[in-house]
Amino acid sequence: MRKLLAGILAILMVLSLCSFAAAEEPIVVTVFRGDPGDQPTSDNRIYKLIEETFGIKFEIEFLAGDLDETLGTKIAGEDYPDLFDGGNSAEKLINAGALIDLMPYISEEKTPNLYAHIQPILTQILNEDGQLFIIPNYGRNYNAQVQNYCNGPAFFIQKQVLAWDNYPQIKTLDQYFDLLERYIAANPTNADGVPYTGFAILCEGWRHFCLINPVQHLMGQPNEGEVYINRETYEVETFIDKDYARPYYAKLNEMFNKGLISRDTFVMNYDQYIAAISSGTVLGMFDQTWDFGSATAALETAGMYENTYIALPLVYDEHYGFGVISEQYLNGAVPNKDRGFGISVNCEYPERMVALFEALLSDEWQKILQWGIEGEDYYVEGGRMLMTSEQYHNRQDATWKRANTAVTIWESAPKKQGTMDDGNVWDPSLQPENYFALMSEYDQAFLAAYGYKVPADFFNAPCEIAPWGEAWQIDKAPIQDDYDDFLAIQDEWLPKIIMAADEDEFDELWAEFVELITPSAEIYADFMQVEVLKLVEQTLN
Amino acid sequence: MTAIANKRKKPHQDIVFPIVNTCILVVLMFLTLYPVINTVAISFNDGTDALRGGIGLWPRQFSLKAYQALLTDELIWSAFGISVARTVITTVLNVILTSMLAFALSRREYVLRGFITITMVLTMYVNAGLIPNYLLISKTLNLSKTFWVYIIPTMFSCFNMIVIRTYISGLPEALAESARIDGAGDLRIFWQIIFPLCMPVLATVALFVAVGSWNQWFDTQLYNGSKKYLYTLQYLLKMKLATTNQSANAANATADALRTTTATTPVTIRCAITVVSAAPILVVYPFLQRYFVTGMVLGGVKG
Amino acid sequence: MTGSAGHNVPAIKVKKKGFFRTLWGQKQLMLMSVPMLLYVFLFNYYPMWGWIASFEDYKPKDGPLGSKWVGLQHFEWLFGRSEFLEGIRNTLAMSLINLVFGTLASILLAILLNEVRSKLFKRTVQTVTYLPHFLSMVIVVGMAQNIFASTGPVNQLIKALGGQEIFWLGEEKLFWWLVGVINIWKEVGWNSIIYISTMTSIDPTLYEAASIDGAGRFQRIMNVTLPGIKSTFMVLLIMNIGHLMEAGFEIQYLMGNSQVEHYSRTIDVFVLEYGISNNNFGRATAAGMFKSIVAIILLFSANWVAKKLDEDTLI
Repeated sequence: MRKLLAGILAILMVLSLCSFAAAEEPIVVTVFRGDPGDQPTSDNRIYKLIEETFGIKFEIEFLAGDLDETLGTKIAGEDYPDLFDGGNSAEKLINAGALIDLMPYISEEKTPNLYAHIQPILTQILNEDGQLFIIPNYGRNYNAQVQNYCNGPAFFIQKQVLAWDNYPQIKTLDQYFDLLERYIAANPTNADGVPYTGFAILCEGWRHFCLINPVQHLMGQPNEGEVYINRETYEVETFIDKDYARPYYAKLNEMFNKGLISRDTFVMNYDQYIAAISSGTVLGMFDQTWDFGSATAALETAGMYENTYIALPLVYDEHYGFGVISEQYLNGAVPNKDRGFGISVNCEYPERMVALFEALLSDEWQKILQWGIEGEDYYVEGGRMLMTSEQYHNRQDATWKRANTAVTIWESAPKKQGTMDDGNVWDPSLQPENYFALMSEYDQAFLAAYGYKVPADFFNAPCEIAPWGEAWQIDKAPIQDDYDDFLAIQDEWLPKIIMAADEDEFDELWAEFVELITPSAEIYADFMQVEVLKLVEQTLN
Repeated sequence: MTAIANKRKKPHQDIVFPIVNTCILVVLMFLTLYPVINTVAISFNDGTDALRGGIGLWPRQFSLKAYQALLTDELIWSAFGISVARTVITTVLNVILTSMLAFALSRREYVLRGFITITMVLTMYVNAGLIPNYLLISKTLNLSKTFWVYIIPTMFSCFNMIVIRTYISGLPEALAESARIDGAGDLRIFWQIIFPLCMPVLATVALFVAVGSWNQWFDTQLYNGSKKYLYTLQYLLKMKLATTNQSANAANATADALRTTTATTPVTIRCAITVVSAAPILVVYPFLQRYFVTGMVLGGVKG
Repeated sequence: MTGSAGHNVPAIKVKKKGFFRTLWGQKQLMLMSVPMLLYVFLFNYYPMWGWIASFEDYKPKDGPLGSKWVGLQHFEWLFGRSEFLEGIRNTLAMSLINLVFGTLASILLAILLNEVRSKLFKRTVQTVTYLPHFLSMVIVVGMAQNIFASTGPVNQLIKALGGQEIFWLGEEKLFWWLVGVINIWKEVGWNSIIYISTMTSIDPTLYEAASIDGAGRFQRIMNVTLPGIKSTFMVLLIMNIGHLMEAGFEIQYLMGNSQVEHYSRTIDVFVLEYGISNNNFGRATAAGMFKSIVAIILLFSANWVAKKLDEDTLI
C-alpha cells in the first residue's frame, strides 16, 4: 500500500516537474568529463526523466588516457563540447578561453537556486576579474557539515592494536610508535605466521603525500599541501626543510633501524601497497582514507574487521620543543574551485544549460539525483529518508548505477551537500541511520569501548576554512619546473634519510638534503606567499 | 631419407641435440606459460580477495564478476564488431598496399627506388608530435567521428614494407625473369608470382598489423570519444579499467562509493581484460601460424 | 650461395635511355609505389610543421604561428638538465641491452624451433612463447616486482643457496638489467616470429645438400640456417640501431622509483614528466626533434658501415 502511494506521489511529482519546463525543442548536448566513467545505459530511467522534462539528451565523452594530452588536442583543434569538465586541469581550459563567464547568466530573479548556491562562497570562487567559469562540483554545504569520519589525511592504526592495549588514547607521535613497537614485540606475526610490518610509507608518484606531508599535521595544521601557513600573519613557508620536520624523519629512521619499517616500502608501487594492507599485516601508516578504500573494502569483505584501520590525529610530543600542539586535521568544507562543468564557447544554447543547472539544483531534482525516486530507491518514515538494505546495496552496484542514476552528470554538476532544511542529509551514505546500519558490529563495539559514536570523534571539530581555502589547490603552473624539482628532491632523499644506518649518517644526509632543497623550496615558498596573500585579500574584501 | 642416413653417420649430435633442445624449450614454455596462467587464474578470482595477492595457477575464490562487468556492457558487441571490422579492413589493405610497394622497391632497375626507400624509411624515425597529427586528421581531413579514422591513417607501415622487401629479395630471381620473358608486366608478376610466394612473410606481417590494429585504443579516445557506437573493444576495456581504478580510490569518493568496489577491483579487471582482448587473436592465430611455422615448399625453382 | 644469389642477376639494361623514358617504361612500378609516396607525404611529412613548436613557447590555443618565438631556449634548457643527459645515457644503455641480447635470444629461439621435427611440438612451443606479448606491461611489471621483492622467490632462492639477499628493485645499478630481462622474456617469442618465417624461405635442398656433404647439425645451422636469415638480420639490425633512442617509457615508468630514478629515467619518461605533464609542448617537441635527428644519424651511419662491409643494407 505504501509502495503504491509512493508510486503515485512519484508520478505526480514527475508530472509537476514536466510542467515547469517549457516545451523546448529537443537538443543533444555534448559533454566531456575529465575522468574515466561508464556510459549510462540507453534505457537509464533518470536520463529518460531529464530528457522528458527538459528535452535534453546527453552525448558523453569520458577520459581514457592522459588528461593533459587530451585537453591539449581539444584546445588546439577548438573541439569543445557544450559542457566541459576539464578534471584536474580545468585551468588550461580557462586560460585557453574555452569557457564562457557564467556571472552574466546568474541573477537572483532568473536563477534563484544558483544565486543562492554560489552567494556564500562567491569570494572564494570568483577570479581576479570577477568572473566565474566553473561552478564547483563539490564543497558547498547547506546547513550543517556532516562529519562521520575523517576522509582525509591522518595516521592510521589497525583496530586490533588499540584493542590489544586496552583502547588507549593515542595522541602523539611517540605514543603511536611506542604502541606499534610494543605490539610487534609481543606479536611478531599474525595467526598464519606472516610477519607484521610496523609502518608502511607509500612513495609512488603523486601519492607521495604519504611520505612528504605528515609534518604539517604534527604541527597542528590541516592539509595545505607542502607549505606551513601562519594563520595570523599569513606567512608561508615550506616545512620539509625546517628544523621542525627533522624529528619526524629521525623517528622514522629510528623505527627503520628497529625493523618496524621495511626498505621494500620505498620501492613499492600502489598495487603492492594495497595488497599489503589488504592482507592485514600492515599495522600502521600515514595516508588519506580514500587512498586505500579498496583495501578497506577487501578487509571488510573478508570479515577481518580487527585489521581495518582507525584514523588518529597525532601531533608532536611536548618534549620536541614546539610547545603543546593542539591537533587540527579536519578542515571546513572548501569549495572545489575550478572543478566541475563549465559551458564552452562553442555551446549554442548557454541559457538552456544554465537553466538546466538551475532546475537540477532545486530540492526536487537534488533528491532525484542523490537519493533517487521515492518509493523505488528510498522511502520516507516519520520525515526521515531511509533505504532498505536492498535499496542501499543497489547503490553500490556499478551496473545498477549505470541504468538507474545520472551519476555521470551529477558528479560534475553543482550539487547540494550537507543537510536539507528538514534535517535529512543530502548524501544518502552519510544519513546517520544508513551510516549506523552499515557499520559492522565489531566497529560499533570498538567505538563503544572508547565511548564514541562515530570515528570522527577521535578528532577535534573541523576548523573554519582559512581565507585562502586550502593552499594545495593553488595552481603551480608558473613555477612548475622548480616545484617539480622541489618534490623530486624529497622523493629521492627522504627515503635515504629514513634508511640511514645511524645518527651520524642521518645528520649528514639531513644537512645535505636541506642544502640541496633550499633553492627550489625558496622559489616555491615565495610563489605561494604571493598567491596566498592574493587570495586573502580577495576573500576579505 | 637423407635424414635417416645422416642419423647413422652422426649419432652423438643427433641424439643429444634434440633432447637438450626439447628440454630448453620445455623450460622456456614453463617460464612463459606460468605468468599467463596466473593472469587467467586471477581473472577468475573474486576481486577483493585478489587484492591480497598470492594467487598461483588456480583461483582462490572463484568468481565471474570481472567477466560479468566487462561482458554485460550493452556496448560490448558493437565495440567488438567495430574492432573486428577495423582490424580486418586495415589488415587487408595494409598487407596489399605494403607488399605492392615492397615489390616495387625490390626491383633494382626501378629508378625511383632510392628516393622512395629513403623517404619511406625516414618515416620510422620522425614524429611530428600529437597535436599536428591530430589537426591533420581531425580538421584538415575531417575524419573525426567517422569509422574511417580507424582505417585511413593506418594503411601503411614502413617496418613491414622492409620485412617484405627483404623477403622478396631472397626469392629466386629466375621466377620473375621467366615471366618477364613471357611478356608479363610488373603488376602481373607481383600479383601472380611474387604475392603467392610471399605467404609466410605476408602472414607474419598480417599478424603484426592485425595485432597492432586490434590493440589500438588511442585513436578512439582522440577522435571518437563522444560517439559510443564507434567505440572499439580496446577503448571500452581501457575505459573499464580506468573507471575501476578511479572508483576504487577517488578523492571525492564518499563512504558509499568506496563500498562500490566490492564486486570488481582493478587487479581482476586488468587480468580479465587481458583475456578478453587476447582471446580473439589466439583463436585466429593458428590459421596464420600455419604459413610461417610450417613453411612453404620452394624446392625445384632454383635456377 | 643461398637466397642472395638472386642479387647477382643483371637488371634490365637502363644505361642508354633517358631518365624520363626509363621512368615511363616503369609506369607499373610507379603505379605500385607513387600513391604510397604521396600517402606518407600527407600523413608523415606534412604534420612536421609542428616541429616549429621546438622553437616556441607553444600554446595550443595560439597555434604554431601565434605562439611566442623563443629560439633555442628549449634545447638549452634540456641540455642544461642533468636528468636529460642521464636520460640519454639510460635510453641508450637499455636499448643496447635490448638490441644485443633481445636479438640474440630471438634468433636462438628461432633456430631451436627450426630444429624441432615434430610439427605439433613446434607449433605449441611457438604459440606459448609468444603469449607474454599480449600481457600488459602493468601486469608484467607487477609480477616482476613480486618475484624480485626482498622476500620474493628470487631472494629466497639466493638465501637457500647461502647467498646474501639482494635489494633488486632499489639498487640503481641493477635496473637496466632487470628491464632487459623482463623485456626479453616478454618479447622473445614475438620477435622470433620474423626469423622463423624467414627460415621458411630457405631452400630445403640446401639442407639436404649439406647433409650429403656430411655436415652435422651445428654445421648445417652455421652454414645454411644463419646465412639464410642474414639479410633479415642485417636489415633489422640497421633499423634497430636507428631506434636506439627509443627504449620505451612504460616499463621504466612502472618499474622505476625514487631510489633508482637516476638509472631508470629514459628520455621519454623525462619528456613526460617535464614536458607533457607540465603542458610544455614546445619542450616535448624539442626533445622529440632531438631524438629524431640522432636516430637519423645513427641510421645512416649503420647503413654506411653495412655498405662498406658489403652486407645487406636498408636503404
